Amino acid sequence: MSLIEVKDLEVHYPIRSGFWNRVTDEVLAVDGLSLNIEAGETYGLVGESGSGKSTTGKSIVGLEKPTRGQILYKGKDITKPRNRRELDYNQDVQMIFQDSLSSLNPRKRIEDIIAEPIRNFEHLDKNQEKLRVLQLLDIVGLDADALYKYPHQFSGGQRQRIGVARAVATNPKLIVADEPVSALDLSVQAQVLNFMKRIQRDFGISYLFISHDLGVVRHMCDNIAIMHRGRLVEIGTRDDIYNHPMHIYTKRLLSAIPETSVEGRAEARAHREAVEREFQENQSRYYDKDGKVLPLVDVTDTHKVALPADEIDKEDK
Amino acid sequence: MSQNQLDNQSSIDKADLEKLSKEAEQEAAPSSLRIVWNEFKADKVALTAAVIIVVFILFVMIASLFINQSQAMSTNIMDSYDKPFSQFILGTDQGGRSVAKELIMGSKNSIGIAIGLTVISSTFGIVFGLVSGYFGGIVDNIMMRFYDFMMMLPILLFIIVVVTIIPSYNAITLTLILSVFYWLGTARLIRARTMSESKKDYVSASKTSGTSTFKIIFREIMPNISSLIIVDTMLSFAENIGVETTLSFLGFGLPNGTPSLGTMISNANDPNNITQYWWTWLIAAIEIIILTISISYVGQVIRRASDASQRLSDD
Repeated sequence: MSLIEVKDLEVHYPIRSGFWNRVTDEVLAVDGLSLNIEAGETYGLVGESGSGKSTTGKSIVGLEKPTRGQILYKGKDITKPRNRRELDYNQDVQMIFQDSLSSLNPRKRIEDIIAEPIRNFEHLDKNQEKLRVLQLLDIVGLDADALYKYPHQFSGGQRQRIGVARAVATNPKLIVADEPVSALDLSVQAQVLNFMKRIQRDFGISYLFISHDLGVVRHMCDNIAIMHRGRLVEIGTRDDIYNHPMHIYTKRLLSAIPETSVEGRAEARAHREAVEREFQENQSRYYDKDGKVLPLVDVTDTHKVALPADEIDKEDK
Repeated sequence: MSQNQLDNQSSIDKADLEKLSKEAEQEAAPSSLRIVWNEFKADKVALTAAVIIVVFILFVMIASLFINQSQAMSTNIMDSYDKPFSQFILGTDQGGRSVAKELIMGSKNSIGIAIGLTVISSTFGIVFGLVSGYFGGIVDNIMMRFYDFMMMLPILLFIIVVVTIIPSYNAITLTLILSVFYWLGTARLIRARTMSESKKDYVSASKTSGTSTFKIIFREIMPNISSLIIVDTMLSFAENIGVETTLSFLGFGLPNGTPSLGTMISNANDPNNITQYWWTWLIAAIEIIILTISISYVGQVIRRASDASQRLSDD
């Protein structure tokens, strides 16, 4: 059984307008999304900004209330606050935020920040708690003298590692990492990602890794889901997505990965333009008349793509 | 189980605990009290202001214990309008009462009312603003309609009416009556900041850490708007001295025979007093000016201490 099963998740936001401020329309931030996260794996959720990936992540941790759909953990629907409380759900599912500065309370010392989930879920005495905090700091590569400092005294990379330490504090089973490195520079990105990988190896944690950076996702993830306009366009293993992309949106996204080679510039540009042309020409076939992504179709055991009917026939032959 | 895992992964164990926490204490960021003190040292005017406030309040509170109120407030026509530094150090008013004694007792009453009023109304305003701003939605809507209703009442006239219909009132009931109305400004201010603060990621992080709503509001958000709370409380304290004074000046403050800064200033209603007998009202007026300016200096220092970018001191 999967660790977390998301079934037909929908998150809609009302748009109010007019004299009476009535609900006139809805933003379909997430519009029918299903995925399964297995224990111990890193699941990549990729998409452009506004595609609903952060909203999905927040729904899974319980920060966002879904309009419809279920999120099953240990067989219980955790979209209901009562079930979350019963299961002590957030002891098992934690989150790492994108903005490391605003996710740490500026008025609290590092000890209190990291100890917050421990105090809420486990009852340790003062020395045990301090020992735990010191060990967590050690695991993310920070010295003990960080204990009584405030968040603004650290660099971005250090702060993000403090965020990782807090997320790991209760020994969770799943961590939702919402673009954890996109605010950091490249060398620090690698550092934080390697800490995350090491922690995963040592503690057997699953990650839901939300990102728009396909290079980072390739480094981190075993399974990847591509999201567009609130729906999934393609799910597959790393190999499926990077080497056999089938949806025109996935191809387009992959062609946008920057390459640093001066000689290949013209070639890469021609490739990008060809992919873009294909996307523009075939857009009407791959999306329905409202611009929605089509339902997912199984291509192989691991690979699911939102293909139009005629493409499926081609595949079968 | 997780403790064992951590022990395996980290080289730190119980033996290191004491040594490491000592190391950490050496590197600790300065406490907020220390910062406030440094800030006072860097701003000598504010330090003077703080000393004035503390010394003055202590003096007034202690000295008033040694003054017999009914005796000091009894009329003595023979000493009417005595000049300062003759028989009485600050002269006497029309009824021959010592201005110095009146000033001490009046200050005690006025400041006492101002402190009580500030504590009650600010506490209520802060809680109201925090709750309304944090929850938003329907809770906020109901609370803000109540706020609008209170806002609509003509406060000063309302207080005057209430004061005249209450059969027996004294300093405490007056404080309570005033508190009903003077939390409004604080509430709206705190609500606005809470709304922006509660959208920040650290609040989400606290929610996912399993912290209760009560703790999030009062332990996470409130410390982050503390600079606003302190400045607002300081300013409303200065303002509240004025509130009692205004009412007494209009004749609806404390009951007759109870001296206050407002009743002393209302001596200026009389053209004779304002032209010839300046000591009957001017000293009280100057006292209020000095007090309010001092308070606002102290408020500024505390605001600077809570915001690192505004600090004057070096560390």
